[in-house]
Amino acid sequence: MKQLLHNLGYFFHEAGIIIRMNLLSHLTSFFSMALIFLILAMVLAGWWAGNYVIAAIKNEAEISAYYAEDMSRDAVLRLAEELQKIAGVKEVLLVSAEDAYKRMEEMLGKEARVLTYFDDNPFSPILEIKIDLAAMEQVLQSVQQTDGIEYVRDNREVLDRLRQLAGAVRFLGYLIITAVGISTLVIISHLIRTGIENNREQINTLLLLGAPDSFIAFPFLLTGLLLSAGGGILAAVLAGYALRYLFARVGEPLPFLPLPPLGGLVLKLAVFIILLSALLGLAGSLSGLHTAKSRS
Amino acid sequence: MIAAKNVSLQYPDGTVALKNINLSVKPGELVYITGPSGSGKTSLLKLLMAMEFPTTGTLEIMGRSYGKGQTGPIRQLRRMLGPVFQDFKLIKGRTALENIMLGMRFLDIPASEMKKNATEALARVGLKKKANTPVENLSWGECQRISIARVLARKPLLILADEPTGNLDRENALNILELLVGCKDEQTAVLITTHATHLIPANQNRIIRLKEGVMEEAEA
Repeated sequence: MKQLLHNLGYFFHEAGIIIRMNLLSHLTSFFSMALIFLILAMVLAGWWAGNYVIAAIKNEAEISAYYAEDMSRDAVLRLAEELQKIAGVKEVLLVSAEDAYKRMEEMLGKEARVLTYFDDNPFSPILEIKIDLAAMEQVLQSVQQTDGIEYVRDNREVLDRLRQLAGAVRFLGYLIITAVGISTLVIISHLIRTGIENNREQINTLLLLGAPDSFIAFPFLLTGLLLSAGGGILAAVLAGYALRYLFARVGEPLPFLPLPPLGGLVLKLAVFIILLSALLGLAGSLSGLHTAKSRS
Repeated sequence: MIAAKNVSLQYPDGTVALKNINLSVKPGELVYITGPSGSGKTSLLKLLMAMEFPTTGTLEIMGRSYGKGQTGPIRQLRRMLGPVFQDFKLIKGRTALENIMLGMRFLDIPASEMKKNATEALARVGLKKKANTPVENLSWGECQRISIARVLARKPLLILADEPTGNLDRENALNILELLVGCKDEQTAVLITTHATHLIPANQNRIIRLKEGVMEEAEA
């Protein structure tokens, strides 16, 4: 370990020489890896953001109950009291057509001007019922059977569709992680083998001088690690910019979409991609060293 | 330090390189191994560097014998040796100083001493000014000096020089031999192979002659 620390500068210097000796090939591999890590980062971001949206919608477990618009306010209040008594109902709020309009105005922000195209308020008054998600089915049935309720809308359909979408993205994620893993291992392993072949003379000299295998192998290990982790870092930076752009494009027209905090998502993604790329670089280097040794 | 008893070496293609070699070298000795090309000088050095192993007989170096596949002990042995190769085996693209330091990086030499040893060795071979010159820009003689400086900096127990004067003019060859002889001390033995017997200074204590793999004469 002490020897490793003493020679750290030398190992980095040697890794630099190994890269420069076959610069074009190393650069091409570096950018290829950055590209595949970027694709992985974007799929992962979609997967994680999808999960966040599902969780957020689940937490907003509520149903909207529509009643006859000609009902008197007293009758509506009595209806609300009745609904409040149903097991699994946490809170019942009376949302007037004006309140619904205001809410939509707030949600749409700059885009709220679309509402001005309507001559009349397009929203109906509703009873907004916050419920316990576990009791969704029973509450729905009870609310639907309550006198005075004309129609009940819940977010199960939206949740199901989101779940399907998230499942597809997750499947794509697993597929891409596997593809990224295999391609990185193959690229790095090949580069290390080529590097060893190009440096065969130097390796033989070191062997004759008594250098241990670990000393000879470390610069090659470092080369693989630097190329792969470097590709990972570049991918993480590019993914950060791409996500910032995408969030701005999606978040502005769809302000009601509960997107995860951008900073947290990018940080989580960067840590994951950099660690994964370093790990794959290390594994690829070890595989390259192993095959080069067994061939010699 | 070296104890060879009836050592023979036959290569896989059937060539017999050495026959019944008996040799003993003690610490502090200087031994010249002479003989024409193909007489087995390099093969003998290969045995001593554990690059080859005796076909018959026993060979002990630094108190133990070595066999094929004993990677760990062989590397340990090589760390105690100071090999000077015919083709120098310097690493291209690195400076003279880097080459010398490379020979020490995996030895138990503190980092602070490595550069000091390397600079001193360079000064001893008269190439201090060439410390930062890439080795491919050095002349044949300078490369040989650098390879000797690499050995000196390692402070080995046994120096094995294979035809160190080959391709050098008389003056340079004598300088190289003088340098190698100067490496001998109480602890360090020096073995030099050469076919240029006329360059060996008079009154050397041991000269061994090899002919067709057989040790013809050994004089004390």
